[in-house]
Amino acid sequence: MPPSQAELAWMWWIPALPLLGSVLCGLLHFLTLRARGAWAPKAGGHGHDHGDSHGHAAAAAADHGDDDHGHDEHVAVDAGIGALAYPVAVLALLISFVLALAAVVQLGSLGEHTVSIEGPAWHWIDTGVFPIDISIVIDRLSAVMVLIVTGIGLLIHIYAGGYMKGDPGFAKFFAYLNLFVFAMLMLILSSSLLGLFVGWEGVGLCSYLLIGFWYDKGWPAEAGQKAFVMNRIGDACFLVGSFLLVHLFGTLDLSDIAGGVAAKLASAPGAQLELFFAGLCLFGGACGKSAQLPLFTWLPDAMAGPTPVSALIHAATMVTAGIYLVVRLNPLFAANPTLLFLIATVGALTAFVAGTTALVQRDIKKVLAYSTVSQLGYMFLALGTGAFSSAIFHLATHAFFKALLFLGAGSVIHGMHHEQDMHKMGNLRKYMPQTFLTFVVGAAALSGLPLFSGFFSKDEILGQVFAQGGGYYVLWTIGLVTAAMTAFYTWRMVALTFYGPERFDKTKLHPHESPILMTAPLLVLAALAILGGALSFPPVFESFVRVEYLHDWLAPVTAPGTQILEEQLGKHELAHSTEWILLGLGACVALAFAHRAFHRFKQGTASDLATFERSPLRARFLFEAWGIDAAYTKLVVQPVRVLALMIAAVVDGTLIDGFVNGAAQAALSGASRLRRMTSGSIASYGLWMGAVTALIAILLVWNR
Amino acid sequence: MSVPPGHLFALAALLFAIGLAGFFLRRNVIVVLMCIELMLNAANLTFLAASRMHTLENGGRPDLQGPIFAIFVIVVAAVEAAVGLALVIALYRNKQTVSLDDVADLKD
Amino acid sequence: MANLIFYVMAALVVVGALGVVVARNPMMSILSLLASFFALASIYLLAGFQTLAALQILVYAGAILVLFLFVIMLLNLADEKPLERIDMALFHERKTIWTLVVAGALLGIGAFTALELAPPAVAAGVQIPEHGIDDLQGLANAMFSRYLLSFEIISVLLLATAVAVVVLAKRNRGTPRLDQGGEST
Repeated sequence: MPPSQAELAWMWWIPALPLLGSVLCGLLHFLTLRARGAWAPKAGGHGHDHGDSHGHAAAAAADHGDDDHGHDEHVAVDAGIGALAYPVAVLALLISFVLALAAVVQLGSLGEHTVSIEGPAWHWIDTGVFPIDISIVIDRLSAVMVLIVTGIGLLIHIYAGGYMKGDPGFAKFFAYLNLFVFAMLMLILSSSLLGLFVGWEGVGLCSYLLIGFWYDKGWPAEAGQKAFVMNRIGDACFLVGSFLLVHLFGTLDLSDIAGGVAAKLASAPGAQLELFFAGLCLFGGACGKSAQLPLFTWLPDAMAGPTPVSALIHAATMVTAGIYLVVRLNPLFAANPTLLFLIATVGALTAFVAGTTALVQRDIKKVLAYSTVSQLGYMFLALGTGAFSSAIFHLATHAFFKALLFLGAGSVIHGMHHEQDMHKMGNLRKYMPQTFLTFVVGAAALSGLPLFSGFFSKDEILGQVFAQGGGYYVLWTIGLVTAAMTAFYTWRMVALTFYGPERFDKTKLHPHESPILMTAPLLVLAALAILGGALSFPPVFESFVRVEYLHDWLAPVTAPGTQILEEQLGKHELAHSTEWILLGLGACVALAFAHRAFHRFKQGTASDLATFERSPLRARFLFEAWGIDAAYTKLVVQPVRVLALMIAAVVDGTLIDGFVNGAAQAALSGASRLRRMTSGSIASYGLWMGAVTALIAILLVWNR
Repeated sequence: MSVPPGHLFALAALLFAIGLAGFFLRRNVIVVLMCIELMLNAANLTFLAASRMHTLENGGRPDLQGPIFAIFVIVVAAVEAAVGLALVIALYRNKQTVSLDDVADLKD
Repeated sequence: MANLIFYVMAALVVVGALGVVVARNPMMSILSLLASFFALASIYLLAGFQTLAALQILVYAGAILVLFLFVIMLLNLADEKPLERIDMALFHERKTIWTLVVAGALLGIGAFTALELAPPAVAAGVQIPEHGIDDLQGLANAMFSRYLLSFEIISVLLLATAVAVVVLAKRNRGTPRLDQGGEST
């Protein structure tokens, strides 16, 4: 028997606690600034900013433009009372995680036929046409997501306490981080598309704030702005899509929409086209948030933020929002197989392009950034085949190992005193054994080495793609090639960083292992990266283990979409033999390319340099993500800047200023003209009186 | 005399208009005061013409409001002329001029 | 016959008035005004207002104009060169044009009203009373009964004027007189 609404009111604490934590951390930050004497409202109001700014590092070379060279001078600042922010934030998340766990357990205990438990609703807007209520819904899908967000969020918060130690903006960081978790939870747990959008925008905002956390260095602020603007473009699409949905369904409630698609298809034949456009627009929004092909260039730039940020936001949570959206509204997308194929194609191409770019990156974080884009492409590829639960599976495993890799990279960067160029690393396994071990686990998972979590999720996706047949064979090929590239660049990264000759000056730089606050989360994540595959073993292992657990768990949510898809396209399933072949193929490819990369780069950077020498143009092309970013700059950013300048000059300067100044001028000149009336000349006064008298007389006679 | 009352009124209007024009046009203060007297006389004529009109309409019963008021107007005109001329004297003593153009002290 | 006299006198009034406005010498202005007053008095007479005609001559021509004359003589304005000329140049001044416009407007509306809207000529047979509309007896009766208050007020006004004129025209002795010897008080 499902619990009553009143009994579930505690579910609101799950998002509320991080919000509360954020406010408290903000307060602590304010107190810190006051104690530091940096809260003086000086001229320009930037007094408080000086307190937490770093020294201005000299502009680095272009390659290193977007690294988080945060502590070049490493002036460690005591956090003072701000240090309290750490336990506050971690505690908020810890309790939130525990509550989420409790909610999920409760959900699970309700059995298969209950889809969701819903907290009490908050009546937000009454549009007159339909009400917009916000309530917390934990159903099977959001259960997975909420555990990921709070769990990995918790680990990253713990890690960040060690990483951000000594930063003047310590408390501010945790305020933002908690705020982000709040927004993400609102996104996941909302029952209404509007509540989801609030969270959607909120994570975008927090992403901006956190990317540009070290804004006084200049380029992080630009990166944050770029991320925000590109997200905004996606958000515009999202809004249009939600308008279409309101038009189609008359409501913004997610479950109503998802449930109403089948009925809509059956009743109105023209509905399919409308559903296509609604889905297309929402997918556009997802592309912005999840960094897919046209709108992905912000993610590599986002590496300018601190590494915990990159781990949390740009690997595990925010970028997965797009995928969550699609799975949440899966019937909507399933209604149009064409749309699904489009999604799959975009995903596959993104994965490929990002993969090629990651091959030639020197910055360790950039490799991981492009890798993230690539893996997100995989998730969209899965969505595009109707394999919604496979996408979620890969989302989960990716969250584990990518967060692990990012945190590991952060540990490396921390130990190397903020050196991020792999060409200047080498043999670090001697100095950072724990980091090394956990990093290798993450790399194994990412590259899809057999029996690690990434192997299962990636191969499940590829299997689903292959099963669809037809045009999907092309996409499968692309996916396979990308898998090869993934293995290659991953182990290149490992080899360059942890093996080979030491390409740094040991007298000046002393690499060291990170403190336990940072290594403990690494260990936890490594365990998850190894064991995560258990979430959904492939069906061929039926005789050994419980297979497809996640798939079954998510079935109530994905069933409507799957059903619609099967009605349109028929059921596609892999024969067991095909599945074994594909599994074997995947394993071989991963192992082979991993081995090749590892050996090539174990000796050092010679291969990289040779590549650049041989064909510098091609290398450069790959390096700059196929020139897409440069194209955007030339085709979009610069014309917009010119347009903005023009508008500022013409519209603002001439029209608006002219209007305002003109009004003032008119008042002045009118007044000075009127002033001449007080001439002191009696004749003038008298004439005016006489004129008016005559006028009155005429009027009187007229109206006689 | 059987002049229609309208002609009397028209004469008064003409007299008034001439007085008004002179009031504005002349620069000599004393002449301006004289033009004021002209306007007051026009008013007097109007009163008397109206009184005559009402008398004739009422069959010969004299309407005395007109003449009474005309008396008052004459008295006031006298008073005003006296005071005005006293001011002219004072003005002349202070500024040695009676031209209006030279006394625009209230000018901005 | 009486009508003819009226129109002649009316013309004289207008000419006199124009003379006031147009004359260069203030003395000429006064004399024109005098002529105008006389003509006006005869018009009053023709219209049946005997007392008023007398009063017009007595007060206006006899007192007010004399006062004007005194002042002009006192200030020696009469035998100076003409203070201003009315040239054609004056007509280009904005003031002149506007004055003519305004005066013309008032004249126009006044004449229009007078001629179009006034009642028609008197009914035949109706006569002005024998001793005039404002015979002295009737005037006195009215003045001291119905219009007593106004009468008293203007008598006060006359008194006030007398005082005011004396004060205004008195020669100013400058700063208040100090006592002889210069002791401060």
